[in-house]
Amino acid sequence: MKRYGEHRIPGRLFVVEGIDGSGKSTQLTLLHQWLKAEGYGVVFSEWNSSPVVKDTTKRGKKKQLLTPATFSLIHATDFADRTERNIIPLLKAGAVVLCDRYIYTAFARDVSRGMDPGWIRELYAFAVKPTVAFYFRVPLEVAMKRISDARNGFKFYEAGMDLGLSPDPDESFRLFQGRILEEYEKMVPEFALTVIDATLPIEVQQQQMRQLVLSKLIQARQLRVAP
Amino acid sequence: MKETYGVKLPGLALHDLVGKLIVIEGTDGVGRSTQMHLLKEWLEQQGRAVLDTGLSRSGLVGKSIRRAKEGHTLGRLTLTLFYATDFADRLENEIVPALRAGFVVLTDRYIYSLMARAMVRGLDPAWVRNIHRFALKPDAVFYLRIGVDDLIPRAVFMRGFDYWESGMDLYSTEDMYESFGKYQGALLQQFDRLAEEFNFDVIDARPEPKVIFEQLREGILRVLVRPEPAAAPALAIVPPAAPSVASGLAGEASGEGAAPASRRAPEVVAKAEELREPRAKI
Repeated sequence: MKRYGEHRIPGRLFVVEGIDGSGKSTQLTLLHQWLKAEGYGVVFSEWNSSPVVKDTTKRGKKKQLLTPATFSLIHATDFADRTERNIIPLLKAGAVVLCDRYIYTAFARDVSRGMDPGWIRELYAFAVKPTVAFYFRVPLEVAMKRISDARNGFKFYEAGMDLGLSPDPDESFRLFQGRILEEYEKMVPEFALTVIDATLPIEVQQQQMRQLVLSKLIQARQLRVAP
Repeated sequence: MKETYGVKLPGLALHDLVGKLIVIEGTDGVGRSTQMHLLKEWLEQQGRAVLDTGLSRSGLVGKSIRRAKEGHTLGRLTLTLFYATDFADRLENEIVPALRAGFVVLTDRYIYSLMARAMVRGLDPAWVRNIHRFALKPDAVFYLRIGVDDLIPRAVFMRGFDYWESGMDLYSTEDMYESFGKYQGALLQQFDRLAEEFNFDVIDARPEPKVIFEQLREGILRVLVRPEPAAAPALAIVPPAAPSVASGLAGEASGEGAAPASRRAPEVVAKAEELREPRAKI
């Protein structure tokens, strides 16, 4: 079993992290389009998408069956399946893999739910270390404003309602995201996350991303070209 | 007081778990289900409320695991974590509530089977142990031990070879018989190591079920008369002559129910504590 940082595979792995409303998904979509246009063999791997696990997660969330422990473990199971069957084989084949959310999302959320920080980090020790992990840093109020403009109402677990922080979903969401933000900040030095100022104009952030990604692609020996 | 192997789950109080957690471990086809059935019946006849549970029986993911295994689509990491999720769900929603209500929880396999399977599949032992550190330390683990040579005839004549029990996901062979022997042999090696590390009560699983049942009964009686120290109140009613742990055992064996932990004298509690063997840490 290879551990975090021990995989030596030709592909490149770029991940985006940040709280809801940080704009990370928008940025990853733009990066994806650009890489495709440049002719790279690029694949998107979404958080929570393993075919054998995702229905269970969905049902557990809908029926509110999940505790912090099972929430944490079921997401790790999903991630393991994607790592074994998707991410590692693709990287071995020399693909560029993009992930919207990665293990740092699990660390931030699960620790905010009271799980042991050391335990959860070891749980994900099988993960491939990303070539670059972008962290979109945004003040809570800015993110809140973006979200409330775009959505109506938060889902139960998304707002951390299982923690009983507040009976009001909006207030609960704010408190929970605040905790998550703190966890992210702790991880910036711990995992050498690349911080992007997510209050900058979208184009400026994208330019910074592309510049760094390009420098990592140039170093790569053999990357798969899109068919 | 009950404790875990080092990791506490949020919101899971352990101070009031007065029941007993008893684990029956052993490899595939060794006769665990037969014994589980006999033990449950016997304990209930003794007036003990029993919860029986086993792997992949959780409401959350049990069905998903069984479905995924039918398609033979699980990688070793995924399989290990799926089972850990199943276990966590049962721990929080079945095992702990039952222990709190004073039940005897009988579990057909525990984290040791999960760890053995994961390690046979080549996963890092430190990683595997860490995952299961939130598990409760059981009051006793009875390991039904058998050698591969005795196990094979049972598979051949009684059960047939199962894809997963033969470790077909592990070895690149078409030969299920060969794979079964190799896989079960490797599992037994892991079990033997775990038996030492976690201080299992080892029971020879070769004799007929009745003989094994006798031994299990004896072992379980010993566990049941062992009081929970946390449950002993400051004002205990001291029995006429403070019985030794051994005589308490004899009383139980002759059909008398053991005095509940709350009615035991503190000195007996202390004595029983000394007898309790230290359990290994994960």
